[in-house]
Formats: sequence, structure tokens, C-alpha cells
Amino acid sequence: MSKQLLAAALAALFTAWLAAPAATAAPAATKPITPIEHFVYMLQGDRSFDNYFGTYPGAEGIPPGTCQKRVVTGSDEDCVEPFPLHGTNVQALGAGNVELDNQYDEGRMDGFVAAYQNQGRDGRPVMGYYDQRDLPTYWGLANRYVLFDHFFSSTRSGERVNRSYWVSGSPPPTGAPKAVAADYAKHLTIFDRLQAAGVDWKFYVQNYDPKQTYRTSSRTTPTTQPVRVPLLNYPRFIDDPALSSRIVDLSQYYRDLDRGKLPAVAYIASNGPSERSTRSIDSGQQLVTNLVGSLMVSSAWKSSAFLLSYDGSGGWFDHVKPPQVDSHGYGMRVPALLVSPYARPGHINSDVLDYTSALAFMERNWKLAPVASRDAAAKSIEGAFDFPSGPRPADVRFTEPAVAKTPVTSVAVVYWCYGAVLCLVVGLVVFAAVRSRRRSGTPPPAQPSANGKTPRSVPVRAKI
Amino acid sequence: MTSDTKPAFLSAVLAPARESLAARRDPRPGGQAWRRLAADPRLRTTLPVALILLLAAFLRFWQLDRVGFNSDEAVYTGTAAALAGDEALRGMFPVFRAHPLFLQLLLSTGMHGGVSDWTARSITASIGVAAVLATYALGRRLYDHRIGLLAALILAVMPYHVVVSRQVLLDGLMTLCATLVLYCVARYVESAALHWMLASCALMGATVLAKETSIVLVGGLYAFFALTPAVRLRLRHVGAGLLVMLAVITAFPLALSLSGRASSGQHYLLWQLFRRSNHGLLFYAQVLPWVIGPLTLLLAAVGLLLLRSHNTWRERLLLTWLAVPVVFFTLWPVKGFQYLLPTAPVIAVLAARTLARVDTLQWLRQRGRTVATGASYALALVLTISLLIPTWSRIEPSNTGTYLAGTGGLPGGREAGRWLQQNVPASAQLLAIGPSMANVLQFYGQRRVYALSVSPDPANRNPSYQPVPNPDLAMRQARFQYLVWDSYTAARSPSFGAKLTALVGKYHGVAVFTSTVTVRSKSGQPAEAPVVVIYRVRPV
Repeated sequence: MSKQLLAAALAALFTAWLAAPAATAAPAATKPITPIEHFVYMLQGDRSFDNYFGTYPGAEGIPPGTCQKRVVTGSDEDCVEPFPLHGTNVQALGAGNVELDNQYDEGRMDGFVAAYQNQGRDGRPVMGYYDQRDLPTYWGLANRYVLFDHFFSSTRSGERVNRSYWVSGSPPPTGAPKAVAADYAKHLTIFDRLQAAGVDWKFYVQNYDPKQTYRTSSRTTPTTQPVRVPLLNYPRFIDDPALSSRIVDLSQYYRDLDRGKLPAVAYIASNGPSERSTRSIDSGQQLVTNLVGSLMVSSAWKSSAFLLSYDGSGGWFDHVKPPQVDSHGYGMRVPALLVSPYARPGHINSDVLDYTSALAFMERNWKLAPVASRDAAAKSIEGAFDFPSGPRPADVRFTEPAVAKTPVTSVAVVYWCYGAVLCLVVGLVVFAAVRSRRRSGTPPPAQPSANGKTPRSVPVRAKI
Repeated sequence: MTSDTKPAFLSAVLAPARESLAARRDPRPGGQAWRRLAADPRLRTTLPVALILLLAAFLRFWQLDRVGFNSDEAVYTGTAAALAGDEALRGMFPVFRAHPLFLQLLLSTGMHGGVSDWTARSITASIGVAAVLATYALGRRLYDHRIGLLAALILAVMPYHVVVSRQVLLDGLMTLCATLVLYCVARYVESAALHWMLASCALMGATVLAKETSIVLVGGLYAFFALTPAVRLRLRHVGAGLLVMLAVITAFPLALSLSGRASSGQHYLLWQLFRRSNHGLLFYAQVLPWVIGPLTLLLAAVGLLLLRSHNTWRERLLLTWLAVPVVFFTLWPVKGFQYLLPTAPVIAVLAARTLARVDTLQWLRQRGRTVATGASYALALVLTISLLIPTWSRIEPSNTGTYLAGTGGLPGGREAGRWLQQNVPASAQLLAIGPSMANVLQFYGQRRVYALSVSPDPANRNPSYQPVPNPDLAMRQARFQYLVWDSYTAARSPSFGAKLTALVGKYHGVAVFTSTVTVRSKSGQPAEAPVVVIYRVRPV
């Protein structure tokens, strides 16, 4: 028995010795198959497509005649029409699964207002929308890059589930806490694939606090960081330094850009300017301006793509019925923008997509295996790119309307006015010269000089 | 153009050459013909003029584009390019700014095939050579051929005229037109003919169209006629002349009005009238003697003093033409290095007049004609060399990190602008310390550049500049992606230089481009000093 144990131990040691170099050496990085060497993926919070781009020209926005009844079974006249939210201050709608299911109303999409009215709450704000006046950054980006108008949240459930799809293409494990922890240990994410393939990645978190993980969050002291950053629910992403060191504060994003060290895949989670309330819309746009603007002036721009989307509709009205791809979704349509030197300029992409479409793109770009069934089946966002046309220069003033043009001064007027008078000048000088030559045979009329002497055209040389 | 239709001063210059050529066609044996040609008085008259013009052209064209544009050059060339249809520069340089557009129109004719430093500067350099020729004609008309030659030679090598006419500035064209005005006025005084009065006034109008500040010279003419009662000035002539001058000047407001930019012109006029002083009262007294030449000034002054018994209306004309702008711009709070350039040909003529009389000095004549003539030539040679040395040093690129506006190109600015064009997104916005560097970078980089020092008060800024009222807020809002520091503006406006440096520190500036010039270190060794640094910045 002891011999057998010894042999087994030796065999294990030998195996470990053989395996050790393979385990410690980083795998050779996989080169991307498209020109996109840096993919940045950011989720903000709780906005529907119609809420942000319902009146964007050319997109599938709010249809004419839209009016949501206050009571689903009530009169057609008792309804709320979409209205601009410009200049108003609206709090987050606080939509939970119940409200979202009632809004969906088994695919009839008629319960957006009623879902709140039924609870004795005011359902009118749901029908509000923003436009160019409120969203100059996003509309400016849409004017210059790609706006997706059929980009759906992955599920009708809330932020936590949608963000799980964002990183793993599947819903998070559920059940008792111990079972959940065990399930998370087996639950794959895109970052596991990237890590295994040697593709550099980072997860940038605004105001990152490494101490706030699922272990420190409880019903009595909840923390939002593990919700915004799903990786903080995975023990290995907290405990393994090779993985946890890749979850960093957002300030590192700017430093990485400065040093030309932006990783191949970068996820960004904001904290504060998440756009869930009216007040945070401006700060959210400012954050995106900073992130995208810094990317544009960096060396990474020419091989990068920045995808911005939202982690759920948040209860805001959207008129498009989401397709049913599996038991979980899709959820409601959400805004999504792709900013890249290869993005088709001013293009509206109508492919049916969700968060996992970006995973599908990453997997194809870096030749990775799918993480879950959803991303395996998802259509990639690749249709929004135009690789053959080559990279185009960045347009960092995307917050300004693209239509501003310098007024053209009538150049002909300038030439005519100056040309005419200069002809007059030349004519008079030539005339004087000609007249003088004709008179040169006769002595010029004398003008007395200051000292009384008659001036001469060939003066006498004075002496000192 | 036939000889009959040429301007009189051109005829005066070209006639001897024409007659010399006619002499060459005379069939005589070869060697004898050549000797006759060499001895031909007409060729001996023309050849020196041609040589002086060659020297003037050499000094004005030598390594003309070795250093890039300064701010004014960038603005005028940018405006000319906008007139020629350059869409990119049209957005940066509005056609209607502070000045009339005579020079810009001339420049635009050479820019339809593309914009280049050399093309723009070669036009103003040619105008400079033409001014030398006009000075010869003026000296010859007022005195004689010899004085004309000496005056042309002095102007040809005078650092002041060489330096300014190598730049795309309005003052070179203004000086050419002003010298022609003097020539025509001299013809009018001699002939009392209306057509010379009309030609004078038309050219005076053209001078104003070259640069509006030359309207001051009208005061010089007024002073001359007022102080010279012996010159009969007919009211009819004055009235007709004034009408012609006004008709010519009208092109400026008319073009503004027809283009719907009358208010632009008014804003510029108000700003020019009430802008703050930029130099002290003694600015010209301190700066100009060294670029006109102390010896030149001395000769002009000594001649006026010692030859006072021979002074006629000619000297009075030259003096009033000289004194009025000098007094005006000394008292006027806004001063520019090049503003007094129209006085340079006059000073050259006055100095030449003295120089030409040296060989008539009694004590020199007593030592023989050869000695007297030799002394005269020696003094002319000394004067020429004393002007040539500073001229040559000034057409070499600056080797300091400081700069006086109007004295030449701006080292490092073109390189920085071209780097911007190649490396920075077209829609990127930059913030510089002052508008001078901003203009240069906008011209070469075709990127929008704002300036910290532009006042938010409309009364205290050039109407074509946009202020940045709260630079810190603009930085936080990511309006600017780059900051530009330059040693020239930092030396002139230390507070704004420090402010920009603070913004660089606060917003994580990373130097992405540096222009340097070679300067002499304290130890006397050459060293590279940064003159323009571009920082990439980020708001967080």
C-alpha cells in the first residue's frame, strides 16, 4: 500500500512537474481576425430605445398615433401620448420584474402606463422621451457613427441578470447562497475565455472599491458594486491575483491610453453618472465624452471599437415587441451605439441583437469558443463595421451638430470692388505718364520752389 | 505695353537700356562694338540699377521659406487662401477682418494651385524689390541719377526693409504705393498738371487699400502743401484728387457692405481705435535706429542740417512725409515694428543726398578730385557694409526663445502645425497661450486653436477671436484635447503662460510634440531649447 502511495505520489509530482511550465507560462496571444485590436464595452443604466432615440430621424422610433392606455382594459381615449421630457426632472421609474412583465403584457406591449397606474402610481412619466436638446453627445455620436435600433436587452429581468448576460451570455446562478457560490465557480465568462487564450483584458470600474464583493454584500448592508460588476460575484475573480488584478479603477483606463497599453478587451462600469435619473444624464454623457474622446486622441483609436449600451429599459416606454429567443428573453429594446474608425458613418443598424451579440463578435475576433448557448446563437455586431473602407479619422467634436457650416463670403464681390478701383489707379497713373511724355517736348509749367527758385527736373548739385 | 503707356518712372529707368540695345544693333566690328557698349553712358546708367535690384532680390529671396510664418503672415495668407477657394482655411480665417484686402487679393492670385509659404512670400518679396526701384525713381526725380542709385542701394540692403519685405505683411505693399505717391506728388509740384494730382491721389487711395493706417500719410501731404505756400495748389485739383482718392478707398467699405459684413468692419474699427497699448512711447526710438542703420539716420540728419541753405520743397516734402507718421505712431498706443516702413525710402533718399555731396566738401576737394571721389565711394561702401551685416544676421533664423512681432518667421510654429495635421483628429480643439501661436497652428495644422489670453470682454479683443471664459470648465467638459505652450508667448505673457502650465499639470498633460531651436547656452555651447510643446490632456 505504501509502495502504491509512494508511486502515486511520485507520479503526481512528475505530472505536476510536466504540467507546471504549461500552467505558469502565459499562452501566446491570439491575434484578432478583424482590424479591431481593442474592444471597449460599456453598459449604462435603465433606458429604452424610444426614451433616448424615439424621435431620432431615420431610426425605428415612436410610431405616429402612439398612446398608452391608463387601464389596459379601459377606454382608448384615456391614454397617454409620448411627450418630450426636455426641461423636466424625472426620477428613476423603479421598474421591477412585475412592472416590466405587466408592460410587456404577453407581447401586446400595451401596459407601460397601466403597469404603474394599477399600483396607484403615476404612469404618465413612462411615456416621456429625450431628444437632441437633452442628448447632444449621444445624438452626435449617432450622427457620425452607428446607432442600433434593434438592440435588445438580453432579458426582461432587471439590471443584475442583464449584466450577467453582458459578461457570460447567461443568467446568473440562483438558489441558496452556498449553491450559488458553487455554481459561480463553474459559471464561465468571456474573461475566462480571454484569459485562457492570452488575450489581454481589463474591467474598469468607476470609484472601484476592491473590498466590495458578494462576500461583503448582504440584505442588511447591500452594495451595488457586485451588481454593476458581475465578476465580483465569482470567487476566482476575487481570490486569484491573475484575475483580480485585472479589475481596476476607471482612472487606469486613461493612464493605459496615455501609455498605449489599452487591453484588447475592456469593460467599463460607471458609478454615479449611470443615467438612471434625469440628473445623471448630463454627467453620464460627460463621462462617455471623456472616455470616447480620450480613446479618439490615443494611439489605440485606429484599431478600436467602443460599444455603449444600457442594462435594461428601466420601465420606459418602447413600442417594439422583443423577439422570444429562449425562456429568458429578449428583453425590451435599449439604446446602443458603436463608435469606431471602422463604424459605418451615420449608419442605423437594424440587425436584431442583444448584449451577447458583442460576445459573439469578441469570440469570432479572437477565435474563442462560445461561453453559453445564447452567444453561440447570437448574431454578431460585425455588420455595423465597414472594414474594407479602412479606418477613418476621429471626430472628437461629436457633441456639436454636424450641420454647422461656415457662411460663405461672396468672393466675387471682393474681386469686383477691388479690381475696379485698382484698374482706376493704374489707368490714372498711365494716363499721367502718357500725358507727360507728350508734353516732354515743351517745358513744364514752372512751380516756384520754397526758396523762390524755379525747380528743375535735373537739379543743380548743391554743395556743402 | 508700349513705351508710351509705361508709367513715367519705369520709362525713366528703361529708356537708357533701350537706347543701349539700339546701339548694340549698330553694325560695327565686334571688339569695337563691345568697347563702345561698355563706354555707353546709357548702359552705365542702367547697369548699376540692375545690379542693385539683383542685390535687393538676393537679400529678399535667399532661403525665403526656411522659417515658417508668424501670426500675421498666417492670417494674411490664410485669408488669401480663403479668397482663392481653400475650404479648410476659409473656416479658420474669415475674409473680412481688420484690414482691407489689396495684398490678400494679390496673394490669392498665386494660390489657386495650392497654398505654400514660398509662393506667398515671393509675392511680397517681389513687391519689396519693386519698392527699391521706386525709391531709385524718386531719388532720380527729386535730385539726380546718382542720388537715386544710392537711395536704392541703401533701401536694398536696409535691414528694416529687407526683414519686413521677406514676410507676408501689408506694410511692404503700403510702402511701395506710398513711394509712388511721393514720386507722383513730385511730378505734380514740378508740372502743376491735374493728371499728376489725380495719379497721386489714386495711388494714395491704393496705399490705404494696402493698409488702412496709411491714411496718416495724407496728413503728411497736407502738412507739405500747408507749409509750402509757394506751391500753387488749385482748389479744382484738390477737389478732383480727393474725389478720386475716396472713390478708390470706397472699395473697402463697399465690398464689406455688399457681402453683408458691414458690422464686422465696424467692430474691427472700434477695436483698433480703443485697444490697449502694446509698447511704450519710446518703442520706435529704441528699436528702429538699429534696423534702419545709425549711420543712415546720421547721414540723413547731417544732410538736412548742413545742406539747409540748399533745402527746397523737395526736402520739405520728404520731411513732412517722414515726420507725420513718426509723430503719430509714437503717440498712438498701438505700435508695430513694421508700421513706419513707408518712411524707409524717404530716409534712404535723404541719406543718399548727403552721401552724394561728400565729394564736394571743401577740405576734400583741396586734396584732389580722386581723393574726394574715393572718400565718397568709401563712405558709401562703409554704409552698405554697416547695413549688410545686420541684414544678413536677421535673415538667418532666430536663435532665441523670444520673438518680436513683425521681425520674421516664427521658428517651430510650422513644424508644430504640420505635426498637428498629421497626428491629431481634424475635429480636435486646442488651447494655446495666445492668439499668435493659435493663428500659426490653425494655418499649418488646420485645427481649431483657441487662446487663453483672449479677453472675454468684446471691447478688449480682436473680434475674430473667440474667448474661453472658463478654461477650467472647458477642460473638464473635454472641449480641448491638447494644450500648446510656446516660449514666445510665455515670455510676453508670463501670467497666461503659468496658467497654461497649471492646466497641463491638472489635466494630466503628456507632451506629444516638441519644437526646439538651437540657442547658445550660458557656457557658450549650442543647446536645444524648446519653443513649442504640445500636450495631450484628459479631463479625469
